[in-house]
Amino acid sequence: MSEAVAQQAAEQEPEIDLSLANKIIDKYIDMPGNLMPVLQGAQDEYGYIPRAVADLIAERLNVYPSQIYGVLTFYAQFHLKPRGRFIIRVCVGTACHVQGAPRIVETFFDKLKIGHAETTPDLRYTFEKVACLGACGMAPLAMVNDSTYGAMTVQKVDEIVNDYNQRPMK
Amino acid sequence: MVNLTIDDKQVTAPKTATIYEAAKLNGINIPILCHDKKLKPFGACRMCLVEVEQMKGRQIPACTTPVTEGMIIRTSTPDIVKARKMVLELLLLNHPIDCPVCDKAGDCDLQNLTYEYKVNANRFTDEKFHHEIDYNNPLIERDMNRCVLCGKCARICDEIVSFGALTFISRGIETKIGCEFDEALNCEFCGSCVSVCPVGSLLARPFKFKARFWSLTKQKTICGYCGTGCNLTLGVKDNKVLTTIYDENQGFHNGQLCCRGRFGYQFINSEKRLTKPLVRKNGNLVEAGWDEALDLVAARLKGAGAAAAAIATARLTNEELVLFKQLMETAGSNNYDHSAGYAHAALTEGFASSFGVAASPSSILDIQKSELLLVIKTDAYETHPVVGFEINMAVKNKGVLLKILSDKSGKLSKLPDAKTLIHTPGTETTIINSLAKVILDNKLADASAALIPGYDELEKALADFTPEAVSAQCGLSAVEIKQLASAYAKADKALIIFPVGQAYPGHTAALANAIANLALLAGKLGKEGSGVLCLSEKNNSQGAVDMGFQTADGLNANQILDGCASKTIKTLLIAGENPMVSYPDHAKVAAALDRLEFLVVSEIFLTETAAMADVVLPVCSFAEKEGTFTATDRRVQHIKPAIKKTAQSRSDFEILGALIKKLGGIAPTAPASVFAEIASSVPGYAGMSYVSLGEEGQFATVAVKPAFVVPQAPLAKSETGKLALVIGSALYHNGTLSQYGEGPMHVCPEGYVELSRADAAALNFAENDLLTVSSAGGSMVLKARISSRIPQGVVFAPYHFGSNPVNQIWNGAAVTWVTLTK
Repeated sequence: MSEAVAQQAAEQEPEIDLSLANKIIDKYIDMPGNLMPVLQGAQDEYGYIPRAVADLIAERLNVYPSQIYGVLTFYAQFHLKPRGRFIIRVCVGTACHVQGAPRIVETFFDKLKIGHAETTPDLRYTFEKVACLGACGMAPLAMVNDSTYGAMTVQKVDEIVNDYNQRPMK
Repeated sequence: MVNLTIDDKQVTAPKTATIYEAAKLNGINIPILCHDKKLKPFGACRMCLVEVEQMKGRQIPACTTPVTEGMIIRTSTPDIVKARKMVLELLLLNHPIDCPVCDKAGDCDLQNLTYEYKVNANRFTDEKFHHEIDYNNPLIERDMNRCVLCGKCARICDEIVSFGALTFISRGIETKIGCEFDEALNCEFCGSCVSVCPVGSLLARPFKFKARFWSLTKQKTICGYCGTGCNLTLGVKDNKVLTTIYDENQGFHNGQLCCRGRFGYQFINSEKRLTKPLVRKNGNLVEAGWDEALDLVAARLKGAGAAAAAIATARLTNEELVLFKQLMETAGSNNYDHSAGYAHAALTEGFASSFGVAASPSSILDIQKSELLLVIKTDAYETHPVVGFEINMAVKNKGVLLKILSDKSGKLSKLPDAKTLIHTPGTETTIINSLAKVILDNKLADASAALIPGYDELEKALADFTPEAVSAQCGLSAVEIKQLASAYAKADKALIIFPVGQAYPGHTAALANAIANLALLAGKLGKEGSGVLCLSEKNNSQGAVDMGFQTADGLNANQILDGCASKTIKTLLIAGENPMVSYPDHAKVAAALDRLEFLVVSEIFLTETAAMADVVLPVCSFAEKEGTFTATDRRVQHIKPAIKKTAQSRSDFEILGALIKKLGGIAPTAPASVFAEIASSVPGYAGMSYVSLGEEGQFATVAVKPAFVVPQAPLAKSETGKLALVIGSALYHNGTLSQYGEGPMHVCPEGYVELSRADAAALNFAENDLLTVSSAGGSMVLKARISSRIPQGVVFAPYHFGSNPVNQIWNGAAVTWVTLTK
């Protein structure tokens, strides 16, 4: 019965290429304690863990599907919904807060029309408020994927968004 | 043993004990919420905190801390009481105080501890949880608002049931118990999680709002479904069995039950039950009095001789079966059989010739003491789920190796390091013979083997069974067979387990002989944790065999049906059996019963077979009578009535006694006197009495006189372009009785045909498609189930369902060749 449910769920999701997940599983299949590296590999490959991939991992690694879900929801590094091509993180830690981070956050919300931990429908952006990025000297700070943008201003929000709007999705 | 002091008392405890266990052993109670004696220590709830002097008075959990020599422990100092009170306050912070409407009230660990520790105020305030309650299945309600996160449900589902439906999900304050992707619970519904839940988070829905826990009368008895012989506690109120109650100290299985045992009790008080005797008048069954009905039957039986025959279900008690025999002998007939003799030929012919006794030499208790288990057919889990739990625990906790020979994989295949060899259906005997051949050829045989009679004949007969010769036929490689044989031979203690029953016609006397030969050759008999265990289908199948409810000079069940068809049998008594559904070849059974002059059926329900009868006698269920059942490993157990007989029903014991009297015989008045007779006459039962059986039951001794018997391995045939249909048991059902238990019918209400993904893709079938399954014998429509456990070319169908019986296409062959069309 659970297989039927899994099948339905797989049908609702966009087409997932399971061969990528199979390759990751092949790599770790004989290693003890392989669940974490396989999930991390899948997270890197797909940007999130699609249901069909979780089910495939459960079947091939002979781990309960429930246990996989337990791991996925325990660690912040795993995501269950598709994430944007560009992850925008704005620090709202103490230093950034006093330097005006709330206004930066609001401006991103207005500009992208999404809230905290949400993704734009075109999958271009995911926005996250984070507690501290460890660069208080650059407050208020924002990051887009691995690039940092210090001394943020409302104007710079516009510039960043315009810049990333032009960038390719792949 | 180590010496320690608990609460100023000098005590001793085993080295491996935890503080909690040591205290319990010595009558000192330490409160627990998250601990269960069946599960590994977890230490989540902090209720069992104690002080250990050597640890500078620190508070440590008793359930996870092992005892050491000279430990000085205090279990209830003012500080400890204060700490426990705070733990309860913190739990009650989020736990709703809805005890007045909670079915757990009265049986709730949290409620009892709150009372014990007088937590009548809370120093903290916080919001309650607002989780949605899972009402998506009809058996288990999940209300995570009441959860205290002890994790017992998730742990029992993993450690014992090995299904893993539940786990901790999310993190921190958001942690809760849930299923994958936080979906509704969809599992095998054994209810183990419900049984261990210390609060009202997991509840049995069939019992919701039926009665307060403290108003129930508790009656211990034995489960009336399969041959495992699980102990049950029934919760009774107003002469109704309302629930089963968990008792962790009950039986070898510590109160563990399967879906049908825990949730399949509703047939006892079903409204569909027969209330009065029925007699056929002008073609219709009409209500009649007992005297009228019994007079009619007695008149037919008087002097009937060999024209009378009887088929009894192996659900009757030993005492009833003995009485039934007496009745038939009084009538002058020795044509009687139980549950179709063919289904238990492995015992009655196979073991009888190989071991000199028609019983398994090993017991269920051997499973966890073994080193290697060889399971024939993964269905052993489906037919006997609680035996399946024992296998799970053996493999997961004791590191027992598990080897499986099966025509499909199953739940057992998923156990750690389990090796499943998938073979061509119907070739079990050939493979076992080949394993024996390898043992002979590689000089792995035990020294004792050559002294057993029949050794030379066996050696000769096995000449053609080299792995290379049988490999292609069986669908296994020669290397796989050799590896299995050497692993089996080299294990010091190895146990072979295989199910028999009406759905397993391939598990014949020849297979039993082959298995016995293998075990004898490798010297596996006569050791604890080693040997052979045949899992018989019904609660008293082994008892029916022991009581000799079938004689060599009388007809067996199949011959009786043939006799009906040829009109040599004119009167047939059927007790609790439903051949229209459970016997092979529906058309043949229907024609045979149709040609009878007089058919008497004693039944709980108006089954498909009872509907054809001339006289129907309403009998009571196992919960209303006294007697003994003999489990598959020959554990004899005493059943006691939990309720008074409903309506006008009588026990088979009373009915058979009355008939014997009407025929001029002398009938015993009480089951106890019949059991005394059994104890004096049945081999192995000597010295038993109702008193000596007690709550645990007693094992009837099995004295093995080994002999090698050359088994006739059937040649596997195949038909190109067709699929091999194998019949079997569904996990939630046992025989045809479970159709009247609401629980099993909620989760598995109808028959289905299970096929492989590959075949489904090739034939373009989807899940739940209605498929026409056609064999040489006929065709029927079944819902498709697509699964990864079935190999290509094989399909599986369960046999329990009267609404659409699979015997329409199945004639009793081990493998039926079928085609599937949409």
